[in-house]
Amino acid sequence: MSDEELLRIEGLCTRFFTENGQVNAVENLDLTIDEGEVMGIVGESGSGKSVTALSLIDLVESPGRITDGRIWFRAPDIADELIESGADDEVTDGDFVDLRKLSEEQRRSLRGSRFSTIFQDPMSSFNPSITVGEQIAEAVEVQRRARANPRSLDAKAQRYGLGDYVLSTVLPSKKYVTGASRDRAVELLELVGIPDPVERADEYPHEYSGGMLQRAMIAQALAGEPEVLVADEPTTALDVTIQAQILDLLSKLQAETGMTILLITHNLGVIARMCDRVGVMYAGEIVERGTLEDVFDHPVHPYTRGLLGSVPDLEGAGGRLQPIPGNVPSLLDHEMPDRCYFADRCPKAMDECLEHPPAFDVEGSEYHTTKCYLATTEYTEEKALPDGYFDEAGRAADVGEEPSETETGIGTGTDSETETETEADSVQSDGGEPR
Amino acid sequence: MTANSSEPPSRTEATTRADDSPLVSVQNLEKYFFENDSLLDRLLGSDPVAVRAVDGVSFDVYRGETLGLVGESGCGKSTTGETLLRLQEPTGGRVEFDGRNIYDLGRSKLNAFRRDAQVVFQDPFSSLDPRMTVGSIVTQPLEIHDVGTKADREDRARDLLERVGLSADQLDRYPHEFSGGQRQRIGIARALALEPEFLVLDEPTSALDVSVQAQVLNLLDDLQDEFDLTYLLISHDLSVIRHVCDRVAVMYLGELAEVGPVETLFEDPKHPYTRALLESVPRASTDERDRDRETLSGDVPSPRDPPSGCRFRTRCPQVIPPADVEDELEQSTYRQIMNLRERIEAREITLEEVGVEGSGRSENDAGEATLAVGEDGLDESEIPAFVETMKDRLLADELPAGHDEIVTDALAELARRNWDGAADRLREEYESVCERVDPALEESGDARESGYRRRHPVACHLYGVGADPTSETQIPSPSSNADAE
Ligand SMILES: Nc1ncnc2c1ncn2[C@@H]1O[C@H](COP(=O)(O)OP(=O)(O)OP(=O)(O)O)[C@@H](O)[C@H]1O
Ligand code: SF4
Ligand code: SF4
Ligand SMILES: [Mg+2]
Repeated sequence: MSDEELLRIEGLCTRFFTENGQVNAVENLDLTIDEGEVMGIVGESGSGKSVTALSLIDLVESPGRITDGRIWFRAPDIADELIESGADDEVTDGDFVDLRKLSEEQRRSLRGSRFSTIFQDPMSSFNPSITVGEQIAEAVEVQRRARANPRSLDAKAQRYGLGDYVLSTVLPSKKYVTGASRDRAVELLELVGIPDPVERADEYPHEYSGGMLQRAMIAQALAGEPEVLVADEPTTALDVTIQAQILDLLSKLQAETGMTILLITHNLGVIARMCDRVGVMYAGEIVERGTLEDVFDHPVHPYTRGLLGSVPDLEGAGGRLQPIPGNVPSLLDHEMPDRCYFADRCPKAMDECLEHPPAFDVEGSEYHTTKCYLATTEYTEEKALPDGYFDEAGRAADVGEEPSETETGIGTGTDSETETETEADSVQSDGGEPR
Repeated sequence: MTANSSEPPSRTEATTRADDSPLVSVQNLEKYFFENDSLLDRLLGSDPVAVRAVDGVSFDVYRGETLGLVGESGCGKSTTGETLLRLQEPTGGRVEFDGRNIYDLGRSKLNAFRRDAQVVFQDPFSSLDPRMTVGSIVTQPLEIHDVGTKADREDRARDLLERVGLSADQLDRYPHEFSGGQRQRIGIARALALEPEFLVLDEPTSALDVSVQAQVLNLLDDLQDEFDLTYLLISHDLSVIRHVCDRVAVMYLGELAEVGPVETLFEDPKHPYTRALLESVPRASTDERDRDRETLSGDVPSPRDPPSGCRFRTRCPQVIPPADVEDELEQSTYRQIMNLRERIEAREITLEEVGVEGSGRSENDAGEATLAVGEDGLDESEIPAFVETMKDRLLADELPAGHDEIVTDALAELARRNWDGAADRLREEYESVCERVDPALEESGDARESGYRRRHPVACHLYGVGADPTSETQIPSPSSNADAE
């Protein structure tokens, strides 16, 4: 970690406008990522992790849209260029640029060269009918062309002459456009630990095992020597022995290149293995963030605690698991009351929790913040919301022990419905800003 | 399933309380699938290819216990589970349920077995019919087996829903109205409808979020106590296995590697695969970053063409070299030579174009010499250059002189396009007992005397009969090993 900010996300909101209503997939999210660190985002299914990643690299698709927020990316070279062409301080402060204020074309030129992505399913990022080597060479080629494009913002490396650029755009892409890109592809395959890269380059994706294809996808992502690698569940589809290999590979590459990694996963073990800092997502928000130690050893938010308590321990059988009752909320705007989104499952919900908590600093660590009143207030029985406040089972201590209780999500309590409606209005009117 | 907050480790209690005969006894179970086996394939004369999904697996499940079956994807866990429930017919072996071979049961006995043994599947989204109400899903097995009146069945369904933590008035709802965890509860209620003795739980929580997984695991624990259930829990998640099981069987590529009581297996794993598996799991703790662990190299081989001898030998970090080689080569160097031979045997090395310098071999790269091994092999004068290039590319370590000579010989054969000669040369010197003899699942020594639930057999030449590498020559040839029966 260089302690120098590379990315600063402020108030990011990403919504999906679906038939069922507006889904607040990412809700007023703040996050900073330092250069050269591995930042983790952890959370359960549907908490908005992937949409956060897609928002960052500008790949949110219809019916989704980023509706608010800024994504500041430190790139002094681009900033200079923008200032020369008359950009104001809404776009850049001379050091950082707001990616959302760039043109579509400008943003696209950063993809691959500054930002790269790897996903859970490597099959989806390869064309089954073209050899792996060719596809990686193609990625190398695309980056070279982009860099040679005189209109490109990215002057990071002008290794590729203008003549080549013109030629490569005129001539149809042929097998291994240049020998150099083929060589680079083989080098990249070797770098990611594919045995016999020379031979393997000529094979098709289906001839690769899952772990090897994951490596190949990493090679492809590295083609443009990106500064930031966004890895969305890169090992979730893999067996645990292969997962260990891929994690080691990512650590090695990170150490060698100094690149910054945003690692998204639902696996707390993967986070612990890889990350310097971590943000815990719940219902579209980062509810707690800090260094790995802050979050794992001194968690404040009851959701973080619940998540850590739910994982069965490999080292000892332990006693009964401590599940979080209920389920992840739907994120439908009209079902998201202006309270703490976790309150209906929280064992410590109090009166103040009926108002949406802003991010509080947690004492003892510079980076540690949480969107929970427990950072500033002690929980007391007097302040506790009455049992069954949200519905009859929302706060049951352990569903397994009281099996006759229903879970949330199918609650039929009328008061929870009316509450939802009135409070949803206020979410819309204040745009979901924290107070 | 054991640990309960009120009575901490009840594991030993369960052990003494229960009956000593196994409820389920799996003996040499084998399930091969055949590819290229359609009529057309036969007309065209293609040979069917056997996929050896389950290849001679034996274990017992005792009354009241939870036996875990753990392994990576494709190792045959689910096929084992389905075959031992007779949801699939085996291609060999037998399974006794309550002392009777389930593959020989007559109609009425088979019916009884189908009531006594139930399954819960992994995917709570596809395992429930979306057009059926929860009530009809749960009562369906009762209807099929013609149990009770309609009213009785509905009463039973209400009762079951409450037992699994749903509410009785949700009977008329449809699966899509429920969350993943709730659907899994519905699946469990359905499996319990006929009051079975035995449940196969096939990855019952893999599709669930961790907080919801914990709910379902606790529920399964409660139900086991309440209904005296015996579980076979199939899972790839070692933390879940550790938390839930009394005993564990570790599976690799269609065979069992090791079986033992859960604490022994996790604290003193014997088989190199079990060790690697346990080491690979990242722990959710801040010490994890500093934890040294050795990762396995390579991938799981295909069950279409599994390695000879020990199935794990292509990745095993402790594969046993011949006695004379053992003192001279590091394990990692030995491994490289073994990998080289494997690639030669599979004819996986490209000879058509061999870049003499580094990896590049494109035409455009002027000045870079390339060698092409033609039909009749390379010209003798070019062989030394070829050998050096191959060594650079295929072996990371420098070899001690004697071994360098052997590998040089072998690579020279390759330059002459004599694949078999190259492989033979390496096999002569380096063949491991691990590839000649499939290790049987045998008691690993000290535990030989202890009770059946404490047994800890391991399938590895480092233990048991073949433990002494010098006695290697006495190990019988592959044709007489147990699995060939
Ligand atoms: N294309 C889409 N259309 C509508 N809603 C969407 C779309 N993509 C995502 N969402 C919604 O956005 C929310 C966040 O989804 P996201 O995929 O980011 O979750 P996640 O944290 O990545 O979950 P997982 O762990 O399952 O990958 C969910 O409620 C999801 O249903
Ligand atoms: S703000 Fe209140 S309801 Fe929300 S997590 Fe904190 S204590 Fe629980
Ligand atoms: S038999 Fe040989 S290859 Fe197999 S696990 Fe034991 S040492 Fe390793
Ligand atoms: Mg996702």
